[in-house]
Amino acid sequence: MASALEQFVNTVRTLSSQGNYRDLCDYLSKSNETLIKNGQHLDNVLETLDIQQHSLGVLAVLNAKYNLPLVNATNESRFKQVKDFILNCNGEQIRLAPDLFAELCHLVTANLTEQKQAIKGISLLQKAISKLQLYDSQLTSIHADLCQLCLLAKCFKPALEILEIDITGICQENVQGQSGSHFDAKYFLLYYYYGGMIYLALRNLDRSLYFLEVAITTPAQEVSHIMLESYKKYILVSLLLHGKILVIPKYASRVVNRFIKPLSQPYHELTSGFASNNSAELNMIINKHNEVFARDHNLGLVKQVASVLYKKNIQRLTKTFLTLSLSDVASRVGLPGPNDAENYILHMIEDKQIYATINQKDGMVIFRDEPDKYGGPEVLKGLEAQLQQCMELDKQILAMDEEIQVNPQYVKKATGLQEDEQPSKSTYAI
Amino acid sequence: MPLPIQNYLYENAVEPMQVDAPPEDNENNEEESYIVENPTLDLEAYANSYSGLAKLYRLIYIVDHCPSLRLEALKTAISYVMTTYNVNLYQVLHQKLAEVVTVPLLPDVAAQSTNQDVPTIDSSWMETRSKKAALKLEKLDNDLKNYKSNAIKESVRRGHDDLGDHYLDCGDLSNALKCYSRARDYCTSSKHVVNMCLNVIKVSVYLQNWSHVLSYVSKAESTPDHSESTTKDSFQVILTKLKCAAGLAELATKKYKSAAKHFLQANLDHCDFPELLSPSNVSMYGGLCALATFDRHELQKNVIFSSSFKLFLELEPQLRDIIFKFYESKYASCLKLLDEIKDNLLLDMYIAPHVNTLYTQIRNRALIQYFSPYLSADMHKMAAAFNRTVNALEDELMQLILDGQIQARIDSHNKILFAKDVDQRSTTFEKSLQMGKEYQRRTRMLILRAAVLKNKIHVKSPQRETSGQSGEVTVAPGTSTVLTARN
Repeated sequence: MASALEQFVNTVRTLSSQGNYRDLCDYLSKSNETLIKNGQHLDNVLETLDIQQHSLGVLAVLNAKYNLPLVNATNESRFKQVKDFILNCNGEQIRLAPDLFAELCHLVTANLTEQKQAIKGISLLQKAISKLQLYDSQLTSIHADLCQLCLLAKCFKPALEILEIDITGICQENVQGQSGSHFDAKYFLLYYYYGGMIYLALRNLDRSLYFLEVAITTPAQEVSHIMLESYKKYILVSLLLHGKILVIPKYASRVVNRFIKPLSQPYHELTSGFASNNSAELNMIINKHNEVFARDHNLGLVKQVASVLYKKNIQRLTKTFLTLSLSDVASRVGLPGPNDAENYILHMIEDKQIYATINQKDGMVIFRDEPDKYGGPEVLKGLEAQLQQCMELDKQILAMDEEIQVNPQYVKKATGLQEDEQPSKSTYAI
Repeated sequence: MPLPIQNYLYENAVEPMQVDAPPEDNENNEEESYIVENPTLDLEAYANSYSGLAKLYRLIYIVDHCPSLRLEALKTAISYVMTTYNVNLYQVLHQKLAEVVTVPLLPDVAAQSTNQDVPTIDSSWMETRSKKAALKLEKLDNDLKNYKSNAIKESVRRGHDDLGDHYLDCGDLSNALKCYSRARDYCTSSKHVVNMCLNVIKVSVYLQNWSHVLSYVSKAESTPDHSESTTKDSFQVILTKLKCAAGLAELATKKYKSAAKHFLQANLDHCDFPELLSPSNVSMYGGLCALATFDRHELQKNVIFSSSFKLFLELEPQLRDIIFKFYESKYASCLKLLDEIKDNLLLDMYIAPHVNTLYTQIRNRALIQYFSPYLSADMHKMAAAFNRTVNALEDELMQLILDGQIQARIDSHNKILFAKDVDQRSTTFEKSLQMGKEYQRRTRMLILRAAVLKNKIHVKSPQRETSGQSGEVTVAPGTSTVLTARN
């Protein structure tokens, strides 16, 4: 069987040296089986190939290695080989076979997840993403892997670096893949789901909500479990941040309304409980669906929602009252006693969520108006920065519009219609 | 022809019950349990201002909700039902009567004396009535068939109308509605169309089918030149009827403001609609709805200075006083008067379910108006003006502040209400920053979405691996399915 491998090595070498990468890609996609069959000799093959010059060939071999059943002793060395490869491979070649490369990354991720060594892969995947990307704001399916590893390792900073960049383009990974766009949608959804969770863990609720909203507005014909879970978290985050469910944009798939909403009934009950501003009722609903929330791993968030309701109610009080006794606060908000109320108010004052002073002598809370936040140069600076961002976005939209305007296909279609009209016009004239 | 009788008797059995449990109005079911103790209602005068089923339904409503008037109302109802063909309702009324008599409220001499003139159930009357009704039905039916075979449109229309009238007399509402509606195809003049509409409206009101009422009102109103073909007087009568019916339907569907507007367009001189409403009903419904929903200016222009509605108000001097007191900002006496008429309103089948809502709205309006000229107000004085304890007032005010109806804050320590001065500058800043953020968020999502659509990302059911996605639920999904996806 060695001859098959020899042939493989030779083909890779000749095609690489000729720079005929396209044919090489075709060849590699067919030779997968040969490689798997000759599993035990793959290390030898690797030795004969140069990472820089024959990146595609190495990629195929490594892929095959990861597809083989695991032998414990080889695991370390295998990971080392991959690491070596990703750090030193030729980006240009890699980008010709993005599907293979991404798959290798998925396999590595899955492997690390199994080994519970998520943290080992983080910097590696960061590198991999930058190799595969043409520009910074391009989404690859490796993004999702990186987020997954960061979540598992509870190490969010590396993920944040890529999450902060708004995606404007998506890497074409399925040029040769047969499974079509489904493959992509899964990683797309996963990226936004994990991203939402990472932001949630970092208490950046606004951004988290944005990510989850992207996930649930993804075009869909079927219910994806990722979307379903995103929807549940979307409800909870929405409650935490805004105190109500934001209206889901109209362009969201009909699947959301028809299937996902009914599937998240306990969460909708929670929302109506929250909307009633009645903590006792909310707690009753939470107890009722405790099991569901626990099963969805959302119990922690649900508990946060419950405590946010107390805060929301205290905030409502600040809008209506100038002074109020602590015991009154407790009874109106539904807290067990004045001490709890004092505790909550104290925290809220510290977090600048309300402006108040507590007079402990006679147990009164004096609510104040917000101090004038909008004075001074910082405000102006902030405003200018916001304006700048808005204008930048506007420019981007204009550029996209322009791109469409000069797109030959678009032009052809747009003018094609006019051409149809023109003859009819001329016949009119005659 | 015994079969049809059976048939409509059977259908009939449900109809009278609908008064208390109309399908559209759930509130009625909840309210059913309340009982009015001390009404100041003159039952005889009240009953005399209505005719037909309206009278019966209203009396039954009183029977169900007012024990002190129960017997008298039942007797009036029974004597009236004897003049119609409504045998079924007769039976129902007697059943109710039997309940009242066997469980006397005051088992003393008074009960005994009333027992003597309690009408007993007259089975021979029922029999002859049923027979007569059947005969009449048969005759009308035959007539109609004859007209139809002769194909005289006008007679057919009249035949349908007569048949409808008869069904109505028997209390068979759904058949009556059918007959009246059928007449529609035989209408030759706009007068007939309007007439047909009025008939349908009447029955629909009995059936409490309010959307039907509204659609037929608009149908009648849009009938071309129905104003010209009739004399001015009868036009006014029809217009008032339509307005009253529309108002009633709006009231029942809780659109109080448009209800008020409809009632205010009624004309007292032409208000002759005993099958639905009495003029004093119009004034009461219209006045209360207007009070609850109009602002001060509208109230002055459309109610107090309205020459036509002034006449209505004269019918209900209490209501007139209430409206004037409200307008003069004498809220304590206004609210006191309102409480006085509450019992009577609760005996009115159409407005009873809405009394509480309307009253709170009126109160809220009064509170808002009271505070509007002040920068700060003493809540003790305010509470006195509204017949409330300070704490209850505080709760009420809190609700209004939270709803954004009063711009103020409460100093609970000193019990003073302070008007809130809104800092225009910072709210503008806040709003514009919010707007900018929203814009950025939307635009980012738009750009991303453009990319998504360009790349045809779409969640489809996986073709080869059916369980592929279920593995991706948790935080750390196994990505082992990738391989199968590619091959």
